[in-house]
Amino acid sequence: MRDTRPERSGWRRLLRRGALAAVLVLVAGALFVRSGLYNVAASSDHWPFTTWLIDRVRVHSVDTWSSFVPAPPSLDDADLLALGAAHFEGGCTPCHSRPGDPANAIAAAMLPPPPPLGTVVGSMDAKALFWIVKHGLKYTAMPAWPAQQRDDEVWAVTAFLVRLPELSPRAYRELAGMTRTGQAVQDGAELATGSESVGLTECVRCHGDAETGPLSGYVPVLNAQPRRYLERALAEYADAQRPSGVMQPVATLLTPTERLRLAAWYAGLAAPREDRPDPAPGLVEEGRRLAREGEPGTGLPPCLACHARDHPESFPSLAGQNPEYLLGQLGLFRRGARDGTVHGQIMGVIARRLGDRQAQAAAAYFASLPAGGAPALAEIAP
Amino acid sequence: MRPPGLRRAACILAPVLLAAGCAGVQSALEPAGVEAVHIDRLLRLVTLFLALVFAGVLVATAIALAGPRAWREKLASEHLVVHAGMVFPLVALSVLLGYGIWVMGQGGSAQAGVGLRLDEDIAAAFEALPASGLRIAVTGERWWWRVEYVTADGRRFASANELRLPVGEPVPVLLASADVIHSFWVPKLAGKLDMIPGRVNTLTLEATAPGVSRGQCAEYCGGAHALMSFFVVAMPPAEFAAWLEREAAPAAEPATRAATAGRRLFMTHGCAGCHAIRGTVARGTIGPDLTHVGGRLSLGAGVLPNEPQAMARWIRDTAHVKPENLMPPFAIFTDAELRDLATYLEGLE
Repeated sequence: MRDTRPERSGWRRLLRRGALAAVLVLVAGALFVRSGLYNVAASSDHWPFTTWLIDRVRVHSVDTWSSFVPAPPSLDDADLLALGAAHFEGGCTPCHSRPGDPANAIAAAMLPPPPPLGTVVGSMDAKALFWIVKHGLKYTAMPAWPAQQRDDEVWAVTAFLVRLPELSPRAYRELAGMTRTGQAVQDGAELATGSESVGLTECVRCHGDAETGPLSGYVPVLNAQPRRYLERALAEYADAQRPSGVMQPVATLLTPTERLRLAAWYAGLAAPREDRPDPAPGLVEEGRRLAREGEPGTGLPPCLACHARDHPESFPSLAGQNPEYLLGQLGLFRRGARDGTVHGQIMGVIARRLGDRQAQAAAAYFASLPAGGAPALAEIAP
Repeated sequence: MRPPGLRRAACILAPVLLAAGCAGVQSALEPAGVEAVHIDRLLRLVTLFLALVFAGVLVATAIALAGPRAWREKLASEHLVVHAGMVFPLVALSVLLGYGIWVMGQGGSAQAGVGLRLDEDIAAAFEALPASGLRIAVTGERWWWRVEYVTADGRRFASANELRLPVGEPVPVLLASADVIHSFWVPKLAGKLDMIPGRVNTLTLEATAPGVSRGQCAEYCGGAHALMSFFVVAMPPAEFAAWLEREAAPAAEPATRAATAGRRLFMTHGCAGCHAIRGTVARGTIGPDLTHVGGRLSLGAGVLPNEPQAMARWIRDTAHVKPENLMPPFAIFTDAELRDLATYLEGLE
């Protein structure tokens, strides 16, 4: 008994001192925070140790978390690349600058400054790029993708970033559609329809105008769509009911009046001439059957029940639409990414009954029709 | 402490109140069909028989415990054990079993071989029935009832979620399933008969009195199983003949401006992709035929009363009214549009 007493009291003393030290550290820390002595100014750099630590944490975190990213789609797809480049021009250049341009002086004064992408992205694999574009980076100004359901859009930007190091400034301008905004648009139409915040050139760059079609198959043809459908789509993007990291930022910049004017302008344009490669004839034929008759056994109504030529103004016209866009949207409907709107809830139920092949067939059929060339309701009734 | 009288009253009242639940449109204890009368008779016979046996057993037990010595000895004799314990149950139960099997044979029969296509199976089964009278096919769907009538003069047309029968005429009803196993049960009219994928069963319904009976799916068939019911209306023959003529005819033209607007909404907004209204371009076969939907007693397979507000609610909130049902929710309509649609559909009598 006697022998153990001093030993126990030694442990106790140690414990007491440890607790006291912890309290002192907490109090000192609280005082330091309250005093405001720490300088949060971005004008002075971190300590070298802090910079080093943040850097290590970031590199390893991206490494680990990007290993869970699913396998990428084919990133050589020219349409995907064009969509990625066009979005980069609108969404990323304010901080990252165009290839070949000097760094924006404002962005360069961030801490950390946005890196010159041409040199950094070359050392990263596609999955890491995808992960950063989708999730953004804490302790930097890199934002997450505004629509987390839209992996397809993130892959488009990733496809562009993979190619970025080898792009000349000129090739970039071509790819991002900057050469498509002709003088005609700048003159008349801009005054009529452009907005203070988003020039019409921004719309035309991707969606085209009366002469040019969309820049990529993943971008929809807006010409001659019903005006009410276009208004609805812009409103849904602006309210984040229809998710898109590409369109939400644009739509939120527009005032309701500007949305109406833009919708009316595109609704009034004639369809552009599109030279699409002929799809597999068997696929189109399958799609035609599905569109006209549906597949009652699996609960699939005919597509034309809603998308006939004389469909309501608030429904989209599918005839002559880009097949890549149609298939992509069907994919979103099937994944439930478009269940946020009342219209999407109807199509979502139907799209989830489609098989892969049926979705391809339906997209191929509507793409094969001339714009405005869908059969009327009375024509499909036997 | 509750007064003891209250407890006694509760004990007496509870079974009475429970038994009161047995009355009504879905009660096997108030038969209104030939087969249900047979089943009711069987139930009463078996109940009476069991009550008598139970009374006999009670008397024998009382004697064994407290009876005079001579009676107790008699009770213990081998003679009694053999006759009352073996011969009597054997004979009585065999007779009851035979009667039960005969009653079962009165109603349904499993019929018709199996093809690959449901519509061909049903057509073949219709062919196999005598062509001189009314024939009906009911197909279980998730979660509603597809109904087809074939009249004595060979006209064939679709309806849904309600059956009408002429009183006093045995009507063969073909029972099939489009997806999973359902079971067709109208307790007031007949016993239940399963609807099995790949088979066509036949149940003969003969109403003995005019009136409404309620039926229900009696085999768990997925999410909305509990919300899959229907009404059967038995009508005097003359009234039924007039109804059949109306039901076989194409839909009425909309009479009001609102109904006309409702029809245009129906035809252009996708409804026609799944629903048929005879006499219009709507020819969908995925959902119930709506040619005379306004004349039915309920909406959504017995889920809502058939009135305009309920119709509007069904169109807009179908996923909440009947969770998991296969119709997409049409929340795209304004209140005014819903009113027009409901006016049109309710007018289809």
